Amino acid sequence: MKEYILLMISAALVNNVILARFLGLCSFMGVTTRIDTAVGMGMATTFVITVSSMADWAVEAALLQPYGLGYLRTVTFILIIAAAVQFTEMIVRKVSPPLFQMLGIYLPLITTNCAVLGVALLLVEGKMNFIGATLFAFASSIGYSLVMIIFAGLRERLALADTPRLFAGPPIGFIIASLLALAFMGFSGLSTS
Amino acid sequence: MDEPLHSTTDFSAPTMAEGIAHVVAVEGTVAWLVPEQTTSCGGCASASACGAKGIGTTASRLEARRFQLVNDIGLRVGERVVVGIRENALLKASITAYAIPLATLLIAGALAQWAAGSDIVTMTAMFAGLALGLWLARLGAGRLMVRGDLAPRFLRRAGAGDTCNS
Repeated sequence: MKEYILLMISAALVNNVILARFLGLCSFMGVTTRIDTAVGMGMATTFVITVSSMADWAVEAALLQPYGLGYLRTVTFILIIAAAVQFTEMIVRKVSPPLFQMLGIYLPLITTNCAVLGVALLLVEGKMNFIGATLFAFASSIGYSLVMIIFAGLRERLALADTPRLFAGPPIGFIIASLLALAFMGFSGLSTS
Repeated sequence: MDEPLHSTTDFSAPTMAEGIAHVVAVEGTVAWLVPEQTTSCGGCASASACGAKGIGTTASRLEARRFQLVNDIGLRVGERVVVGIRENALLKASITAYAIPLATLLIAGALAQWAAGSDIVTMTAMFAGLALGLWLARLGAGRLMVRGDLAPRFLRRAGAGDTCNS
């Protein structure tokens, strides 16, 4: 149990997908102008990363490893991610058309989000069991959502602040992101004892 | 350079999240609208290299997101209007669509792992949990819809300078 808790803290905070591994930076800068869009994108990404990682683990364990097809890993995972996004879109549309109208716009963005593929490839590297892989993927995506929401909150305030024209927009956004990354580096000092 | 903000500036978000939509049809007292073509990120400096634009802006996707409003203000086809949803509606919708299925998936997986300790059993339990979660999400979405929490509301007619990012 302790092993899984540490795995999740490590994935969400210490090795944060955005601030430590620098994955998903396109959506990090693009969808964080408002908190509500950051929440929508974060939740959708959490769902897709978790579900696609479960499928990736199953395909890796049942097909790629036993038959020595490791060279097809990246292509296969991209295919699985695209299928997971389509599946999610289909399910949300069937479950509730109004929800699809509200949230559907975030789903295609996830297909091109490198964080989803990055987490899947990290799972293979980590050689985890199924529950460990799922918890790792879930915690990684929670870390992604957390940073997206924090950054969106900062940018909402920044939009009202008196920023010098030279730094207005993305430049000050990148400076804030680097400060946030420095702050998150503090989590690497967490003690497990 | 603009005047510095006063310390009592209200940083809270607006009570309605706004967007722009086009009226595409009027049927009796109901107007059908589609959201203005945009990606959720509103475009960025790397828009030409970003896959989101090509996927998210096709006519079919917009058509799929068509919605209706009660036309008691005389909207005509082709008009641009500003519509809004309550600021917490997106949060409620996200929790209903994604958090409930994820929670049931993880709880089912954790219970199966604790009881059986086998990857196959855990996997099966997780997919069953996902199915249960989707069913619960459907119930929750129905409840939100009945309360009108998910329905966009007409706010005003859009001016020529109004954009989805303004």
